[in-house]
This record gives sequence, structure tokens and C-alpha cells, in this order.
Amino acid sequence: MQPAAIKHRRSVALLHATLPYLIVVAVLLAWELLVRVNGIQPIYLPAPSSILRYLVAMLLDGSLSYHLSITFMRIMAGFLIAAASGILVGVAMGMSPLAARIIDPWIAALYPLPKISLIPLLIIWLGTGESYKIVISAVTAFFPVVISTFAAIRQVDPGLIKAAKDLGATPHQRQIKVVIPASLPGIFSGLHLGMGVTIIMVVAAEMIGGSSDSGVGYVLVHAGQVMQTEKVFAALIALAVFGAVLTNVQKRLDRLVAPWADEKH
Amino acid sequence: MEIVVDNLVQAFGDAPHTILALDRVTHRFPAERVTCILGPSGCGKSTMIQIIGGIEPCTSGDVTISESGGSGNRPLGSQSVMVWQNLNLFPWRTVVDNVAFGLEMHGMARKERHDRARAMIASVGLRGFEQHRPAQLSGGMRQRVALARALVMERPILLMDEPFAALDAQTKIVMQEELIRIYERSKKTILFVTHAIDEAILLGDEIVVMTARPGRIKDVIPVDLPRPRTQEMVNTPAFGRLYDRALHLIREEVLSAMRQQDQAVH
Repeated sequence: MQPAAIKHRRSVALLHATLPYLIVVAVLLAWELLVRVNGIQPIYLPAPSSILRYLVAMLLDGSLSYHLSITFMRIMAGFLIAAASGILVGVAMGMSPLAARIIDPWIAALYPLPKISLIPLLIIWLGTGESYKIVISAVTAFFPVVISTFAAIRQVDPGLIKAAKDLGATPHQRQIKVVIPASLPGIFSGLHLGMGVTIIMVVAAEMIGGSSDSGVGYVLVHAGQVMQTEKVFAALIALAVFGAVLTNVQKRLDRLVAPWADEKH
Repeated sequence: MEIVVDNLVQAFGDAPHTILALDRVTHRFPAERVTCILGPSGCGKSTMIQIIGGIEPCTSGDVTISESGGSGNRPLGSQSVMVWQNLNLFPWRTVVDNVAFGLEMHGMARKERHDRARAMIASVGLRGFEQHRPAQLSGGMRQRVALARALVMERPILLMDEPFAALDAQTKIVMQEELIRIYERSKKTILFVTHAIDEAILLGDEIVVMTARPGRIKDVIPVDLPRPRTQEMVNTPAFGRLYDRALHLIREEVLSAMRQQDQAVH
């Protein structure tokens, strides 16, 4: 190949690699220009540079990490309760037809209910403290976890169970050594859905209730009420990055626990 | 180990919509021989060996497995072990843990079962792949894992349900030679389900030809080719005569099976 052609191919590859980032920079620049040239008031649309200033200030005075860590603790509490109870109930349903028959109508009836509509009731029962935020997020996340776990166990390849039986596995061994590991990838996808709704519900619960004074949801509502639009944007960016980090960590954990799930077979 | 099946009947579904899969199948499978079971798709040949292996219950009839001559090692669990058409390897287990699965279920200590599994993995030519997972192996290698997982149980009867059907032609030849080698070395009683006539002749001491559904035994062809078998025998006149005879028998049944499917569609 001609050196010129190689050089050309290299520059095309470089462009392909950097184009997504260049577009982000271009959009930010256009946004900045739009705000400055037209003199748009920051309460309507702050410039990226002033959002960044707020973000840095919140990082430096520790308020961002304070609110994020409180939101994180609530998310983990709600998620862990939902994951533990969801997997437990899902496994029970998958392994005992009687349990499935008893529990299934409840899930069918309660799953379509928008969980956010439970907030008034939960505030009456629990007040606007920590327990209300954790309960609402755990209740919401419970459903995707239990449904995915149940489905994963029911969809285990019967051939694997027959093979285990042929090799001498007792019914109990078949459950523990075949059914559970075979359904792990399905259970994990339920946990991903559960984590997603937990984040949503914790932030929503922090925004609703009024008496809350911590968490990213509180920062959003509070900054919005006093028209600190820069702070609203800064909190949104922090929340987006935080959510991405959480789901990424979760994916890595999945790969660590069930590395075969990504492989084709 | 001689296997006698007596009046085996397998019916699926509730009356009056029962489908008869096996209809009064009676046969004596000779000990320490390879019997190939040849038949059109859906003739119940897989069902039959699953019943023999104790994996599925049958509607009526008997399976008797009787000792003949000297006994070797006492097998772990039942007398037979299955090699499945779709392998049924455990995707989350490494090769060594797949092969050691049966030993583990019988409570064998980790060190011993891994030693035995490693030896068996080496003997099927997979040394160095002990820590791979099935998805990281080729089709032929996975087939060897499935074979090793069955052989490590040291059970006297090997039940094979179209084990090489999914392999490409070259890999299939290699695996057939592997099986011939295993048979010559271990003299197990092998029941080998296939729909490939040449495979049935190459591997079998006798061929049980089954009818289209409901599965009955149509004929039994003794295969008098000398052992040890080699791929070169495929070109001998004796092989050709056996092939013609089996083909003639099976063609009628395949046509009959196709007619059944046509009726089911229309």
C-alpha cells in the first residue's frame, strides 16, 4: 500500500475514535456561545462554564459529596433489602409450585401499580424520615428482582437438570448445583432493573416530603425553589455520573461472579 | 452388562389425545457390544435410551440390566451414563469441574475427583484446557468434554444420543475414531443412537432399525466387519452391502415419517 494511503487510513481511524468527543465539545461550545451572545438569564439557561463553577464549588465545600453519600446510603439500603427479599421469594417460587401459586396473584396484582402512588400512604405511616425513603425504593425494586429470579429459574434448560440427574445428583443437589448457577445471569438482569428503579425512587422520595434536608433530590428541589438553576444543572450532572458509575460497578461485579454469562455458547 | 427391554411402551399426553412414541419394543442388547439404533426423526429412539438410562419413566414394559461375566470396578450410581445430543455441559463450570461433576455429586473429595478428571481429560486429548469454560472451546472439543464427563464415571453402559450429529464432517470422523478407540480399550456396552447409516455401520456390532412413529423395531442387522474398525472400511464391498440393506429399510420409514408430517400440517 502507498504510504499516503496508509496515512489517510490512519487519520480516518483517528477521526472515528475522537468524533464522539469532538461532538460533545462542539455542543458545549455552541451552548456557551448561545447563552453569551443572546445574553440569556442564568435562571433560564446557565452557560456550561458557570455550571462548572458551581460544580467545582460544591465539590470543594464538600456539600456534593455529603449529599451524594447520603443518597448512596439510601440507595444501597433500599437495593439490598429488595435484592435479598426478591431473590429469596423468587427462588422459593421457582422451586416450589405451591409457593408460586400462592405468591403469583399478589405479584400480578401489585406489580402494575405505580409505586410512586404509595408515597402518601407511606408518609402517613412512616413519616418523611429515612424509613419512608428506603421502604418506597425497596418495594419498587422488589418486583423486577422477584419476577426476573422466578423467570430465570423456570427457564433453566431441562437438559442440564436431566444430565445432572444422570450423573447422580440428588434433587437437592440439582437445585443447588445446577438450577441456581444456571439462573444467575437472569437474576443479575433483575438486579440491574432493580438498581435502576431504586435510584429513581430514592431521588424522587428525597424530592417529595418537604422535611428532607439531605440527598441529591433535596438539593435539586431546594435549588429549583430559589431559582439557582446552575446548581440544578450541577446536581443533575452529578446524579447522571453517579448513576453511570453505580451501574458500571454492578456490571463488573456480574462479570466477576458469572463470567460465563457474556460468552456465547 | 446385557440390557433387555421387554414390551416397552411410551405414550405421551392424556387419552384420547395420546401419542404413542414407542410401541411394544422388545430387544436384547448384547453385553460389551456396540448397538446402533437407526431410525427416522421422531421415531422414539432418543426416548428409548432415556428410558433405558432411567432418566425418563416409561408407560409400561421392563428394562432389565444383568451382569454377564466378570465385573470390573463398581460404578458410582447407576449402571449407565448418557452422552447427550446437545451435550448439556454446564456453562458456568470449567472443563475440569464439568468432568468432575458426577464424582462431586457422589461426595468424592476435591483432590481425588480433580485427579481423576484430569486423567480423563488428558486421555480424550484435552490436556491444557482444564481451566477453560465450554464456551471457549470448539464444537469437537466440547464433544470430548462431554465424553470425558461420562467416561470418568466408569459405568459399564454408555448411552449415546446422536452425539456427533452437530459436528462438521471432519470432526465427526475424528470423534468416531476416538469412540472406536475407547470401545477397544474399555469394552463397554454401548447404545448409540444415530440417523446416519454409515456411522451406524462403522461403529456398530449390530444395527437396530426402527420404524417411524410409533417406534417399533423393524429389523436387526448384524454387522460382521472385523474389529478394530477403521474409516477405510467404508470403501469395502461388505460395507456397501450393509449400507444398501440399511438404506432400503430406512428409506421406507423416512418416507412414512414424511407422510405423517404432511398429514400433521394439512
